Amino acid sequence: MAEMTGAKAVWECLKAEGVKHVFGIPGGAIISTYDALYGETEITHILTRHEQAAAHAADGYARASGRPGVCMTTSGPGATNLVTGILNAYMDSSPVIAISGQVSTTAIGTDAFQEADMLSLMLPITKHNFIVHRIEELPEVFRMAFAIATTGRPGPVHIDLPKDVQLSKAELEIPAKVEYRKPLKLDPTPSEVTRAVELLVHARQPVIYAGGGVIWSGASPELIELAELLQAPVTTSLLGKGAIPEDHPLALGMLGMHGRMVANLAVTECDLLFAVGVRFSDRATGDVHHFAPRAKVVHIDIDAAEIGKNVRVDHAIVADAKRALRAIIEALKQHLRKGRTSEWLERVNSLRRNLAPRMDYDDVPIKPQRAIKEIMEVAGPDAIITTEVGQCQMWAAHFYRVRRPRHFISSGGLGTMGFGFPAAIGAKVACPDHPVIDIAGDGSFLMNSQELATAVENDIPVVVCIFNNSYLGMVKQWQDLFFGKRRSQTYLGKTPDFAKLAQAYGAWGDRASKPSEIGPKLREAMESGKPAVLDIVVDPDEHVLPMVPAGGRLDEPILT
Amino acid sequence: MKNRIFSILCQNAPGVMMRITRVFTRRQINIDSITVGIEPSGLARIILMFKADDKHTELLRHILLKLEPIEAVEVIEPEDSVVREVALIKTNPLPPDQHWRIVEQIERAGGKIIDSREGAIIAEISGEHDQIERLLRSLGPEVLREVARSGQVYISREF
Repeated sequence: MAEMTGAKAVWECLKAEGVKHVFGIPGGAIISTYDALYGETEITHILTRHEQAAAHAADGYARASGRPGVCMTTSGPGATNLVTGILNAYMDSSPVIAISGQVSTTAIGTDAFQEADMLSLMLPITKHNFIVHRIEELPEVFRMAFAIATTGRPGPVHIDLPKDVQLSKAELEIPAKVEYRKPLKLDPTPSEVTRAVELLVHARQPVIYAGGGVIWSGASPELIELAELLQAPVTTSLLGKGAIPEDHPLALGMLGMHGRMVANLAVTECDLLFAVGVRFSDRATGDVHHFAPRAKVVHIDIDAAEIGKNVRVDHAIVADAKRALRAIIEALKQHLRKGRTSEWLERVNSLRRNLAPRMDYDDVPIKPQRAIKEIMEVAGPDAIITTEVGQCQMWAAHFYRVRRPRHFISSGGLGTMGFGFPAAIGAKVACPDHPVIDIAGDGSFLMNSQELATAVENDIPVVVCIFNNSYLGMVKQWQDLFFGKRRSQTYLGKTPDFAKLAQAYGAWGDRASKPSEIGPKLREAMESGKPAVLDIVVDPDEHVLPMVPAGGRLDEPILT
Repeated sequence: MKNRIFSILCQNAPGVMMRITRVFTRRQINIDSITVGIEPSGLARIILMFKADDKHTELLRHILLKLEPIEAVEVIEPEDSVVREVALIKTNPLPPDQHWRIVEQIERAGGKIIDSREGAIIAEISGEHDQIERLLRSLGPEVLREVARSGQVYISREF
C-alpha cells in the first residue's frame, strides 16, 4: 500500500501490465494524468495529431506485437474521436485499452464543458467498458480491463476516468494479478475431437479456412502441421493472411469478394470446409446459400456466439484454435492413411496454374499489380504490411504474399479509411526492427496524413506507398461496374503533391511514375531512415479483379 | 414466432440493463415484458420475454453470455414453470349500479379491491397473463382509466 493520486495509479497499473508505449493526446480532463507522466521513464508516450490515429496506432501495435495497445485522450471530443478506432479494433478482435478523461463526477450529467456520455457511446463497440467512480476502484478496474481485453476472443476495453478521481489521493495497492471471472472453454472435448477427426479422415476434397483467430492464438505452426498432415489446401480470410506462408505449396491465398479464384473455386468444390478462427464475414462467403455447397462444415472458434451465426455448421468446436488443432493433429496421427487427397490436390493445383494472377505488367501509368510485385520484392519477408481501405487494400490482399503471422495488418470488419498509416506507426513502435510499409490509396492516406508529424517528431520510420489514382478507387470501381460508369463524387483531382507534402513535414518523399522506378525508390525510402512517402502513380481505370459482387456466388466472379 | 423467456442473472449495477436491451434493439427484436428483482446473493434476476426463432434465440443467449456483468442466461420453457403477473387497475368514477357490477366482476376474476372513492375503484389482480388479459378486455376502455402491470415473472418448477 502506498498513498498516491489516481493519476499516478494509472501509470502504476500500466507498468504492472508491462505497458511500454501509450499513444494519445492530452487535454483538460486528463491533464493531471499527463502531469503524473512527466518524468516517467518506463513508459514512452507517443503524441499523435488526432485521437483517431492514437486508437489506430494502439490497434496496429496490438496486431503486430500480440500485446495490448494503449491509447489515451481527454474527455468530450478527444474521447469521441476514439470511436471509429475503437469500433475498428472491436470488429477485428484487437486488444486495445482506451483511456479517456471525463469531467468530474459531480459535473457528469450537467452538460459540462467537454462532457460526452462515453459510457453509452463506447458500450456497443467495446468488449466491455468502465467508468471509475472512486479512486479505490481504479487499480482493480485497470487490471480487469487488461484481463478482459486479452482473455478469450480479444477486444477493446474503454475506461472513462473522471477528473476528480485522477486528482484524489488514497492508500492504494496495485493488485499483482486479477482473476478473469467468466468461465472460458479453451480445450475441445474428446468427443468433439473424435468427430472432427472422423470428418477429416473421410474427406476426399478438404479445404482448411483459417482466420484471425489462428493468428491470435499463435496456432500457425499447428495450422501448417495439420495442412501438411492432411495434404489439404489452405485459404484464409483477410485477417488470416500470414497464418500460413502464402508461398507454401498448400496455400491458396485469400477467400472471398476479392479473393484468389483458386481459393473461391476450391471452397465451392470442397467436400469438407474446416474453418478455424473465422467468422464467415459476408465479404468472404458471398451468397451463403451457395457457399461451400457440397461441403460439411467444421467450425472451430473460441467465441460460441460465432457458431452458426452466418453459415450452417455441421460440427462446431468452441475452443482455443491452438489447443483444438493440437488435439486434432494428435488424434489424426493415429488414423490417417496417406494419399487420400492426391486427386484433389491435382485438381486444385491445375486450377492454380490456370488462374495464376498476372503481375508483370510494364505499362505506364503503372498497373497496381506490378506495384505490389515491386514492393514485395524490395520489402522482404520481414516487412510488416499495413493497408488503407479500398482498392489499394484489395490489391495488397489479393496479390501480396504474406510470409508470417502478424505481418499483414488491415481494417477488415469496419473497412476504415485512414487506418493503415497510424496502424503502421503503431506496428513500427511495437516492432522497430521490422520494415513497416503502409500500402495506401491517395483517398485513404489523406484521412490521417497529419500523422506524418507524429512519425517525424517521434522518429518512427515507416514507409507509405500511395497507389495514387486520383480517385476514391473502390467506390469508382463499383460506379463503373454497377452504376453505369457514373463517377459521382469520386474524382479527387491531382492535389496534393504527396512527395512535397511529405517533405514539408520533414519526411522523405518522392514519386514513381514508371514501374522500373518503384524498386529503387522504395529501397531509397527504406534506407533513408526517415518516415517516407512514395507516391506511385497508378492507372486510374484499373479495377480489382476478379470480383464477386456483393451477395454473389464465389464461383461466379466478374473477370473483366 | 414463438414466445421466448430468458431468466438472466447479472450484476446489480447501473448500465447493465442498457447492455442487455441493446442486444435486442440492434436486432430489431421487441422486448414484450421485462422485470427485475434482487436475489438474496445481491445479484439481479431479470426476466425478459420476447419473440424470436430458434436461431436468434440461441444467438442472443450466446451474445448475452459474453457480457461481463452477466453470470447466467437460462432459457425458461413456460410449460415447466410457474408464471405470474400483477396488474393494478384504476377505473373511471362509475354510477352506483355499474360500480357494484364491476366490483363483482373483478372479484369473480380473482381480483381484490384495494381502494374506492367517489365511485372509482383501485383493484389488483395477480395470475397468469391470459387471466389478466381477459379481465382487462371484459372491463374495456370505458371503465378503465389506468392500468399498471408488473410484467411476467417466472420460476422454474424444478427443485
